[in-house]
Amino acid sequence: MPGLLSSPVCLTVICFLSWSLHPSCAQIWTDEVSDVQYGRLGSNVTLACGNSQIRIPVVWRLNQSSVLPWHNMTSDGRLILLNVSQSAQGNYNCYDNRGLLLHSINLRLGHPPGLLSISCQVPNHTHVRCSWADFVKTFLPGQYNATFRGSGTEWRPCIVDVTGRHCDVDHPPFWQPIHTLRVTETNALGSRTTYVNIKLYDLLKPDPPESVLVKEREGYPTRLIVSWNFPSSWPLRDAFPLVFQIRYRPHGSIYWSEIYSEESHVEIFDALAGHLHQVQIRARDEVNADSQWSEWTPLLLVRPWEVHSTTNPVEEPDDLFTDYNFPFNTKPETSTPKSHNPIHDDEGNLGLVILLVLFSVVILTTVLSLIFVVWMRQRRRDHATKQELTSMVKMKSIPI
Amino acid sequence: MKLLLDSSSSLLFSLLLAQLPVFTSASPVPQRRPTDMDKLSNQTKNLMKLTQELLKEHAFDSDVEPHRFRSLPEMSNRSANDLNNLELKPTLSQLHADLKLYEHHFEWLNRVSKKHHHPAVPKLVEMIREMKSLINLLHRHMLRVEAPRLTPATPSLPPHLPYQFDVLQSSHELLQHFKLFCDWAYRAFISLKPKVSAVQ
Repeated sequence: MPGLLSSPVCLTVICFLSWSLHPSCAQIWTDEVSDVQYGRLGSNVTLACGNSQIRIPVVWRLNQSSVLPWHNMTSDGRLILLNVSQSAQGNYNCYDNRGLLLHSINLRLGHPPGLLSISCQVPNHTHVRCSWADFVKTFLPGQYNATFRGSGTEWRPCIVDVTGRHCDVDHPPFWQPIHTLRVTETNALGSRTTYVNIKLYDLLKPDPPESVLVKEREGYPTRLIVSWNFPSSWPLRDAFPLVFQIRYRPHGSIYWSEIYSEESHVEIFDALAGHLHQVQIRARDEVNADSQWSEWTPLLLVRPWEVHSTTNPVEEPDDLFTDYNFPFNTKPETSTPKSHNPIHDDEGNLGLVILLVLFSVVILTTVLSLIFVVWMRQRRRDHATKQELTSMVKMKSIPI
Repeated sequence: MKLLLDSSSSLLFSLLLAQLPVFTSASPVPQRRPTDMDKLSNQTKNLMKLTQELLKEHAFDSDVEPHRFRSLPEMSNRSANDLNNLELKPTLSQLHADLKLYEHHFEWLNRVSKKHHHPAVPKLVEMIREMKSLINLLHRHMLRVEAPRLTPATPSLPPHLPYQFDVLQSSHELLQHFKLFCDWAYRAFISLKPKVSAVQ
């Protein structure tokens, strides 16, 4: 035997066998790691036991279990899974009759991409963000490519974020009637492009105002001062004015009062003395009447000035309102619009002073004129009396 | 004499009383006179309002653009950032040329609408009148700041519109474009306001 083993022919055979067998074994393991097969849910999926034309009987296992979904087996060892469902997903291994692993497949099931549901947000004139969702879930990872254009202009990329759920366009050609977004979703089972026409002009919707502050005015039990900042996403330039709607009501009331302003502060003059008030603000592009109002800012609660007032504005959760027991609280929400009423305190006071001075002058003139008239009448009356007396004296002196 | 005195005193008193509401209603703060730019922006806003009314009254909801008008002022190259860096004279000249071009288009639309007895005709006439007034106002202001007048582009208008539907579609397209133009023009005028005061 040692002689046999040491013979050069035998060594050559062993070397050849080890050379030829080793790589094929390695190939199986490599395949096991890399061979991912995709199939459509609800269809028949065929799994082949490797590339070779195996004529020996094979055994298939799913996730190491011999229980397989509804299937057929072909004579060449291929497994045909019928009308596959999600439960048919997993790692399929095929073995020869001696239990040697021949091939391994990771089966993933899903749908090819369908149409996408796309919506776009336009928080200002320089930025558009479009988000999408599958109408039908694909269950498979997809790649997205998005492009955007205004009517009659070139396609330009809409930059897709890492999550693959939305894309952004900076500095779009805003003043165009219609824009088109084109999103192509690609997965292992196919590719589908969705086109959507959007009207940026109508979709313009600023973010809500920021840093809203509601303060009492000391000494005035029915006044509140409301101030806020423009949304930080809105360009602070002359060309982009915003109009703000301020609404307020006594806490518990269903009736809102409204004020519109283009400034970033306003004074409420008709707050209900001694009551907590809810205040909210929203913004809209002042020029574009077709654009949308921003969301309301969170409710702020504040009480007007009282003799011993110590209330600070607090942010209030929406549901607090419903718990509060106020006498009038059962009708649907209504509001009382008010005209634009920005604060011009200094100007207002100066105006009032000038008005009072003018009024005093008028009153004084009137009084003086009346005095003058009365004095004139009196003088005339005196004069008449004198004349009468003179004429009487004259008449007396005339001899009869 | 007595009668004269009585009547004069009554007259004086009445006059003073009549002055009261005048004094009380008059704003004590002197009103700022509107500048040319104020007038231009206000008139543009008015035109935009008219356009929006026309679009609402004759609603034609369509996402498909027919592209009948090839010679409308180009808006694809105007971005929000441009509004920050507008130069007074070239912008006024460009807006004037654009408005003249729109005027031609709307006069054409008016003629076609009349032919088809379109109900929007009265408002179209009002719009064209407002447009002409804005063009004149803008031209006067251009003369004041010595802004050159550009040679107006030749409008290319559709040859004929056989059906009422074509008129409706064209009207919608033109009004949509003009509304956007007015939006941009309004923003341009209010952006240029500080620059005008710097020039004058």
